[in-house]
Amino acid sequence: MTVKTIDQPGKLVEQAGDSKEANEPAVSQGNLVLAGVGGQGIIMASNIISLACLESGLDVKKSEVHGMSQRGGTVVSHVRFGHEVHSVMLEPKQAEWIIGLEWEEGLRFLEYLKPGGVAFMSTERRIPPTAFADRLGGKIDYALGAGVPRGVVPVDTYAVAGEAAAERPVIAQTVLLGALSVDMGLSQETWREAIAATVPPKAVQANLIAFENGRAWYERWKKTTGSKPGSSIKANDIQRPEGVSPGAFRAGGFNGPDVSVKDWRGGMPRIEVLRDWCKGCNICVIVCPERVLSLDRFDIVVASEPDRCTACGLCARLCPDMAIEIWVDTPAHAGTGGE
Amino acid sequence: MSTVMDTDTDTAVDGAAGGSVAITGREKRLLRHAMMPHMLCPGCGHGIVLDAMLSVLSERYENLDNVAFVAGIGCSSRIIGYIDACTLHTAHGRPLSFATGLKLARPDLTVVVITGDGDGLSIGGNHLIHAARRNVDLTCVLLNNEIYGMTGGQAAPTTVLGAYTSTTPLGNTQHPFDAAELAKAAGATFVARSQSYRPQVFGELFSQALDHVGFSFLEVMSDCTEYFGRINRFGEGADMLMGQARYEPSIDADLARIPTVEPVTIKQPVRPVLPIGVLHRSSRLTLEETLGIEGGRSSGVAGGKVDDAVQRMNG
Repeated sequence: MTVKTIDQPGKLVEQAGDSKEANEPAVSQGNLVLAGVGGQGIIMASNIISLACLESGLDVKKSEVHGMSQRGGTVVSHVRFGHEVHSVMLEPKQAEWIIGLEWEEGLRFLEYLKPGGVAFMSTERRIPPTAFADRLGGKIDYALGAGVPRGVVPVDTYAVAGEAAAERPVIAQTVLLGALSVDMGLSQETWREAIAATVPPKAVQANLIAFENGRAWYERWKKTTGSKPGSSIKANDIQRPEGVSPGAFRAGGFNGPDVSVKDWRGGMPRIEVLRDWCKGCNICVIVCPERVLSLDRFDIVVASEPDRCTACGLCARLCPDMAIEIWVDTPAHAGTGGE
Repeated sequence: MSTVMDTDTDTAVDGAAGGSVAITGREKRLLRHAMMPHMLCPGCGHGIVLDAMLSVLSERYENLDNVAFVAGIGCSSRIIGYIDACTLHTAHGRPLSFATGLKLARPDLTVVVITGDGDGLSIGGNHLIHAARRNVDLTCVLLNNEIYGMTGGQAAPTTVLGAYTSTTPLGNTQHPFDAAELAKAAGATFVARSQSYRPQVFGELFSQALDHVGFSFLEVMSDCTEYFGRINRFGEGADMLMGQARYEPSIDADLARIPTVEPVTIKQPVRPVLPIGVLHRSSRLTLEETLGIEGGRSSGVAGGKVDDAVQRMNG
């Protein structure tokens, strides 16, 4: 029934000294669905969950669907754990938890959620390449404004991760695991060991910070909302850490302007970035001799030091996505602009 | 033809843009905006080639109504889908055959074939040498990323010795093709090689290839970041691209100096230093001329006798 099935007594002692977590009833069986798009760490997150369960002496079965996922395709992973697990796949309305690393992908798999279950979903959007065309006119309306479905806990993962997100762009999965760990009840130490054993060595510290932040965030969230995820939540209720306003979040994110145009100041080159076309390959950032460009936290190029631009055009010519263009004044118009 | 595109471009460019010019000379009216952004992986060299190609086409053509792009299957061939020209997406390895037929039926068209190393050298290897032998008046651009990118990173006939791919997990043990030498030996009358790292060199060579009457073969060294780069630990797109800078000494003012080729040892996947620039240029009668088809360009080679012989044979 509980984690007492662990046959390592030392671990139980550690767990007992782990303050309040040890008092929470542990879960001895459960089902999870993890959904998102390729590159977000879904497989890694399911590996961490599986490892944590195995370390706790539980049987785990995991099944995942992926392929062509490097190009933004869907990835979904089913994880089942318990004293003995027979089937690897879930049927709809069987999952106690859903981890949605991408908002729409999470919504797509909501049918797997058991009544009373909790879906931890990142508010991050990754529009698949086939739908990119619609982004040109900014036509996609984000469903957050329409409220949040029952059972869903929306998590602004990048904001919750805080400093860890600045260090490691692929961090959302650990934030959600932190939130999940509050409900799943395995010992914190087991989780931390599973994370340390799974993520690349240089990313361990950032992931552990993100895990703690996610865990703390969800505990606070449960207190303030009375632990009832679901229909009563509006978009404005999504909590962000202090100092991060919704406006600031939008300005750097996907709700920003399609085209960032530097103001025309007589004779200066003007950098035009098509945010929708940029895939964040970092080529322009590397080749720019003046270090004008940088990637924002969504891996999209921004002209962070536009004053230094000398209009050499390397970034524009070497951009595989044609997302950058440098505009310079023609001689005929040179005098009419700034002076 | 381009009304929809103009509106799209205007929204991006309007405002402060009046009186200024784009530094790349690339005009986005030649793009199919509904298809953008393209499906190439982040950092893929093919995107740079497409970009440079559009710059050249913007300079040369008002619109692309009389330019036909023919391509086979693969990441490289896929880029024609983003050019607002007459495009023909054909069977795997057979773009040159389709293009030969197209050119003979419509000699007034400028025909450009975009193919890849797998498409053009292995599956379509025969078609390549025979199109070169026949000297059809078309331009063949072969984007060489040394791997099969679209199908999952299998070894291609251009994969260098020692390179790891999904079908050579212990390192490639087979020698690669030199595509440019192959085309030259098969009879191509214009052979050149460029890199995705040098889009302006590519633009110059592409422009010369379009000007040349006869079979023009232009090989472009490109980067596959997701498969070739990742499995061989060549780094990300930017690292691979900067890695091409090793070719620096091979660039000469006349784009025609040929440097020595460094030997490559097995178990050390290093992309070879290949000569860049115009490697071969000659003049021969084109297939249209020997067939007596009118409407195409003249190679300027004396050879009316072939026409007469064909006519005599036809009675």
